[in-house]
Formats: sequence, structure tokens, C-alpha cells
Amino acid sequence: MNHDSIIRQPLVVGGKTPTDVTADISRPILNKPSTSWRVGFVISFIFLLLLVWTIGYTVWTGIGVWNINKSVMWGWDITNFVFWVGIGHAGTLISAILLLFRQKWRMSINRSAEAMTIFAVMCAAIFPVFHMGRVWVAYWALPLPNSFGSLWANFQSPLLWDVFAISTYFSVSLLFWYLGLIPDIATIRDKIKTKAGKFWYRVFSMGWTGSTRTWARYEVVSLILAGLSTPLVLSVHTIVSTDFATSLVPGWHTTIFPPYFVAGAIFSGFGMVLTLLIVARKVMNYENYITIGHLEAMAKVVMLTGTMVGMAYITEFFVAWYSGVEYEQYAFINRATGPYWWAYWSMMFCNLVSPQVFWFKWARTTPWFIFMISIVVNVGMWFERFVIIVTSLHRDYLPSSWVMYSASWTEIGIFLGTFGLFFTCFFLFSKFLPVINMSELKTILKNRE
Amino acid sequence: MAHHEAHHIEISKEQFVVPAKAKMFTLGAAIIGLLLTVVGVFTLPTDSSHSANSHAKPATHAGHDNHGAAAQEAHKVDPNLVVDNAGHETLFPKTTHKDPEHPKPAFTRFWANLLVNGYFFLIISLAALFFIAVNHVANAGWSAAIKRIPEAMLTFIPVALVIVLVVLFVARQDLYHWAHYEHQNIAKGAPGYDKILAGKSGFLNSNILLFGTLLFVSIYFLFGLKLRSLSKKEDEVSKGDLTNFRKSVRFSGAFTVIYGFSFSVLSWLIIMSVDAHWYSTIFGVYNFATGWVSALTIICCFVLYLRSQGYLKIVSDEHVHDLGKFMFAFSIFWTYIWLAQFLLIWYAQIPEEVAYYYDRFNDPQFKFQFFLNVIMNFVAPFLILMTRNNKRNPLVLSIAALILITGHWNDVYLMVMPGTIGSAAEVGVLEIGMFTMFCGVFAYWVLQALTRRSLIAVNHPYIEESAYHDVGP
Repeated sequence: MNHDSIIRQPLVVGGKTPTDVTADISRPILNKPSTSWRVGFVISFIFLLLLVWTIGYTVWTGIGVWNINKSVMWGWDITNFVFWVGIGHAGTLISAILLLFRQKWRMSINRSAEAMTIFAVMCAAIFPVFHMGRVWVAYWALPLPNSFGSLWANFQSPLLWDVFAISTYFSVSLLFWYLGLIPDIATIRDKIKTKAGKFWYRVFSMGWTGSTRTWARYEVVSLILAGLSTPLVLSVHTIVSTDFATSLVPGWHTTIFPPYFVAGAIFSGFGMVLTLLIVARKVMNYENYITIGHLEAMAKVVMLTGTMVGMAYITEFFVAWYSGVEYEQYAFINRATGPYWWAYWSMMFCNLVSPQVFWFKWARTTPWFIFMISIVVNVGMWFERFVIIVTSLHRDYLPSSWVMYSASWTEIGIFLGTFGLFFTCFFLFSKFLPVINMSELKTILKNRE
Repeated sequence: MAHHEAHHIEISKEQFVVPAKAKMFTLGAAIIGLLLTVVGVFTLPTDSSHSANSHAKPATHAGHDNHGAAAQEAHKVDPNLVVDNAGHETLFPKTTHKDPEHPKPAFTRFWANLLVNGYFFLIISLAALFFIAVNHVANAGWSAAIKRIPEAMLTFIPVALVIVLVVLFVARQDLYHWAHYEHQNIAKGAPGYDKILAGKSGFLNSNILLFGTLLFVSIYFLFGLKLRSLSKKEDEVSKGDLTNFRKSVRFSGAFTVIYGFSFSVLSWLIIMSVDAHWYSTIFGVYNFATGWVSALTIICCFVLYLRSQGYLKIVSDEHVHDLGKFMFAFSIFWTYIWLAQFLLIWYAQIPEEVAYYYDRFNDPQFKFQFFLNVIMNFVAPFLILMTRNNKRNPLVLSIAALILITGHWNDVYLMVMPGTIGSAAEVGVLEIGMFTMFCGVFAYWVLQALTRRSLIAVNHPYIEESAYHDVGP
């Protein structure tokens, strides 16, 4: 018996049956990769090689090959770190918070968004780790016993909180993602023909039988992991925000940072999910699963969170004036009218203004248009971090320390290279694992045969 | 789920009649509260005795103030004594209540209390309106069966607005030292000139305070009336007519944006400006969180009460469970925002910011209530509302609700009192009386408003979804 309101749109269209779901979603895994997949993979892999090369060059030569300097000691590296960590947030929001809010439309997109989370966190981690310079002693960031040398970890530092927050986030996300995959991997195991495929899918399905008992246990563990993930959505970017906000730097030390960073992270994450899925649904013919309704819902989230970060920008600006503190006032005036004004206004336009087009139904139901806006959102959120980091650092209390900063080709190369890592991982994922959660999706089909 | 599918749920209109007992209880609370308020006002300490009192208090509490070397060290850096080394006018003047030159009239405590309660119930009524709006824009189905309760709560907005406006109009110079300063009209460079306050006068002035408050809250209330009337109209048209629903969604969207952007400004004007030298970008979010969690708690209380009286037949334990989840979740949200403000200011220890917590966290007068705030609004609901059974148990929920509502009153009290009457503040007969009175009046008012339309929005497009709502295992 179904009591859904008549005005609810179906979440899966095209009259799909459970058999169709299995067939459609396991098709890319069982078949040979398409030409578009091969081309995309090769391009991504070339960028991945760029990452390896630029990082190798950095480690071999020293951190001096970056253009960071005495005042702007964080440049593209931490900008990119925050950028990638933020992107990861959509996956966790979709799988944990939307689960708690019983938003069933998440079922078509949670798998790929969670995968994106994991790859984005991998990209993010590269930046602070290699910024350490002597990367071979990076493990000193962990609170190891003194027998490994001295205890270097400073528990009062938000940078150390980051180490814990991000490693926890990564482990829980990976575990949650993998757990969700197990029933689907078992489905593939039963369908795949190649010998190696049979072996590996058997290993990773961990003897899944699909019995009632297994499902009952599986659901309990899922719920526990969802519960654990929920605070993580908030905590990770909160702690990233404290990297800035606990300091005394004008423009960084402001109390709205934690929720504002979280909103921005969800905003950028949904931007990236839209970018990826609008392409994926087209190329993989998943338009009946990732429907216009899904895109519309995500566009609404983008509009909401974009407006929230916009409100934070305005609040910061106003309160800087209101505070009467000249350093704060200068920091914000300088952001808007100083040498980096273009970055500030790009940020304002991309994050606050552009998502407002989603007030119009046409805008949020037209895939190519949403795709364009999602790119704008990705760019805008990169600029936001650049604005926060570089404009606050390039002006010091001491005018003799005032400097300008622009990235070296190595920094640019590493950033481009992380896109290579991200997309290489995503292409591998879309080839070897089901991009949509088959077992979950089957529970919401209207057509049960 | 099985028991739902087994039978058909009848969805019909319900006309609420306020039981005599409820009338007696709410009006009784209001009258007793009023009497206590009067007693409280007449027994207010006179100016001379209160200043003597205020000198004695810190001395007696000094012994409790040992919080390690850090706190001792911090005490030495009195924010009131910091002098700008560039030789400007004092950048960090003393907060008013510690200023012996401006003794507060004893009656100020009455006005400060009226501000606390008026503002508290204002943000609750506004959050009730926000609840309706946000459920519309989010296409939420489960809450359709209880939407008449926030619809009734929002009718309290004009009452609270009038009270707040009266306080602002009559007593602003006693409560807000910036308003007193504005009144003094000191020329630049003259003795007593305050660079910071003068810099803010474009925003912090009596005109914006009064007209801004009036304008913002009136706009909110107009949206509230519109959403109320659309909801009422929906009862009268045939089922399946979505005109009113679609209009409600549009008005809700507009309201959400307007409220989201302007509520911060309202909270800066009325509450943040109490400590006029201080500022915090998160303050609006913090006030929103306080009002929001309180409103959710009160909605839950009304649901429990109406069900206990045999009303709201389609509302089941499932809805109560969800409201319990909201109370739990948004208590944590409140704590998150509270922590964001406190942690960042405490960590950075910038004099002009940390002064706010010197008056609350370090001042022995408010220290107890400062910790009580976190215990009542975080620890208690977190532990009480964690399990599924507790969220479905009316008695346990009521206890949690009582703690939360009192806790958030304490929260607003802590925002207002240190900066308005400072050392003269204490929770006495006046405070308890006035809060009781407000609770009584608010409950009576909302119960009356509930009688003006069916308790069940029978034609709401999501009403079936709500009636058959099931939160799952």
C-alpha cells in the first residue's frame, strides 16, 4: 500500500523493473569499455603523470620550487587542499544526512557521490603532506610514542585536529562506501564471465549470500555508519575552518567560519556531483535513474548553500565595518578593492549570484545549463579559498612584509595533476563497480513485475 | 508498518475547544507570574544597596575562581584596561555595567527582563513561522498533520513585537549603553568620546533600532498571515485543488530568503548591541538556533498535550518520534554554533572580543548559569533524547522539553543581562515570575488560536502521507 502524495514525482522513470536495473547498471562492468571511456581515461592518466612528475620535482628539489613566501606561506597548496576537501562533502551529506531526512532521491546518486568523496579526500591530502617539505617524516604529524623520536604533535593546533578529522573522515567514508558496495559486488560476481573477474568479485563480496540474516546485519551496520558519518560532515570542514579562524589574522578570525565553511563545502560538493553526473548519465544512458528530478533537487541544494555562503560573505563584510577594528576593515576593503579584487568579485559572482538562476524552473531542469552553472560553482569555490588565504596573507601588520603572490608552474602542475588523479580514479570506479546502488534502488521501484 | 496497512486511517476535521482546566492553568500561570513580577519589582534593591552588593559578591566568590595558571594569567589582562598603543582614544572602553559613573536605576532590571522574555517569545514565534515555510519549500510530507500548531504559534508575533518595541522605546537608554551614548551626543575629541560607538552610529541608532525592528517583524508577520490564510482557504476548497498549496510554497520560498538575510540584522540590533563594543559574525545564526530549537520543543509540547486530550487522531507516535529527533538534532546544532562562537573567541583571546566571555565565563556572577546553559541545552537533551524509546515516551519528552525551554530562556538571559544590568542581575522572584507569566500568556494565546480552525489540514496534499507516516525501525 502506497500513501505517497499524488504530487510526488517518481524517483525512477521509464517503467524500470528490478531486472532492468541489474542489467543496465552492470552493463558497463560486464562489457568492454567504450571508446569515450578509453579516451577519457587516457587523458586523465596523462594528468596523473603530471602530478607524479611535479610532486617528484618538488620533493627532489625542495619546497622552494613553489612561489609561497615569507607572508603568503599558504598559497595554492592550502587553497587546493580546502577545495578538494570541500568537494568531498556532498558524498557524505547525501549518504548520511539525506538518509536521516529520508530523502529517497539520494539512492540514485549516493554511490557515485561517495566515491567522489573518497577520491577528493585523496587529492586533498596530497597538499598539506607535501607542503611539509620533508615528506619522508610526514608521520611525525601523528602522536607517535617518543621511541620514534620526539613527540612533535601539538594537540592545541588545529592543524593536528585536521590530521585526525581527515583520516577519520577518509576511513569512515571508505568503509561506508565499501559496505554499501558488497551486495552489488555479489551481484556482479554472479554475472561476470571472466575468470579473474569471478575471483576478485568473490573476494570483495566477502561471501555475501543475500540471506535474511545477512541483510538484517547489513542494515544495522549501515545505520551505525550513517550515524557516525553525520557528525563527520560537520566536523571535517569545521576543523578546516579553525585552521584559519583560531588565528589572529584579519579576515580569518571570525566566528561564522565553521558553519559557513560547511555550507561552502556542501555547495562545492554538489557542484562537482552535478558536473560529474550530468556527463555520466548521458554517456552511460542512466537518464531514467538520474532523472531531471534528481538534477533539480541538487540544483536547489546548490542554490540554498550558495545563498548561505553569500550571506556569510555579506555578514563578514558588514561586521568588519561594525567592529570598528581597522585591521578587519582593511582586510575586507582590500579584498574587494585591492590587487586581488578580481578574485573577490569572481567569488561573489560565482557563488552568490550565479546559483540564483535556479529560482527559475527552466534553469534547474535543463541539464546543459545546470552543467554550466556547476562549472561556475567549482571555479567560484576555488576562488573563495584563494581569496580567504592569499588576500589575508599578502598584507601583514608590518607594511614591509607586504608582498604579492602568484603560483609557480609546479604549483599549477600539481593542482592540474590532482584532477588527473581524481578522474583516473573515477573512470576506474565507473568501469569496475556499479555506479548506482542497485540493491537500494530496487526498493523504490514502482514497477515490481 | 503492518498495523498501518491493516486499517484505513480516517482523516477528518477536528475542532479544538480549550478545556476549562487548560484555561485555568494557563491563565493561572499568567496571573501568578504577574503577581510575582509585581512583588519582584517592589522588592528590587535600591541603587545604594545593589552597588554595595555588587562589590561584595566578587570577593566572596574569588575562592572559586582557581582555574589554573592560564585563567589566573588571563585575569591580569583585564580587557577594560587595554590601551591602544598608538595612543588613540581608548579602543576598549569599559562595559557599562562595570562603569561606576553610570549607576543603573533599579527599575532597569524590570526592563531587562521584559526584553529577555519578549525577545525569547518573539524568536520562538518567528521560528514557528519558519517551520511552516521550511516544510513547504522542502516538500516535507510527515509534518502536514501538525502544521496547525506552528500556524497558531505565529499569531503571537505581534504580541511579542509590541512588548519588544515598548522596551526599546521606553528603556533603550538604560539597557543599551550605545543609546545612552547617542543621547549624550559627545563631539569628536571631547572627553568621553567613544571612537568605536561613534563609528557604528550609522547602524546603531535609535531610528534603525525602532523602525528596523518594526519593519522586519511586520514583514515576517505579513508572510505569516498570508500563509495562515492560504492554509485556511485550503480547508474550504475541494480536495486536490493545489492552488493554495502552490501559492504557499512560493510565499514560503520568499519568506525563507527574506528571513534568512534579515534575521541576523534583527538579532544584532536588539541583542548583540547590548554589548555594543563587541561583535560576532555568527551571532545571528546563534540566535536563530536558540529560537528554532525552542520552537520545535514547544511544537512537540502542544502535540503531546493535544494528543493527551484526544485530539490529533491522525498524529501517531511516529510524528512524536520525529519531533523528538528534531529536538535532539537541533540541540546539537545549537551546541555546534555555541561552540563555534565560544571556542574561536576563547582560543584567539583578542581583547575586544574576549571581553564578552569575561563577563560570562570568568565573572563569578554568571559562571554558574554559563555552565548551566551547556548542561541544559546540550548535555541533558543529548543524553535524554538519544534512545528511540525515550523519543516516543511522552513523559520523558516533556521532561526534556521543560529543560530545553528553561535552558534557552537562560540562554537569552545570558545574552542580555551581563551587558544591561550586570552586577545587579540575579534570578529572583522577578525573573521567575515574569517567565512564568510569559509562558502562561503564550500558552493561552496559542490554545485560543488553535480553536480558530480545524486542527487537521484535511485538504493538504501531503496529509495522507502524514497520516500513514512511519519512521521505520
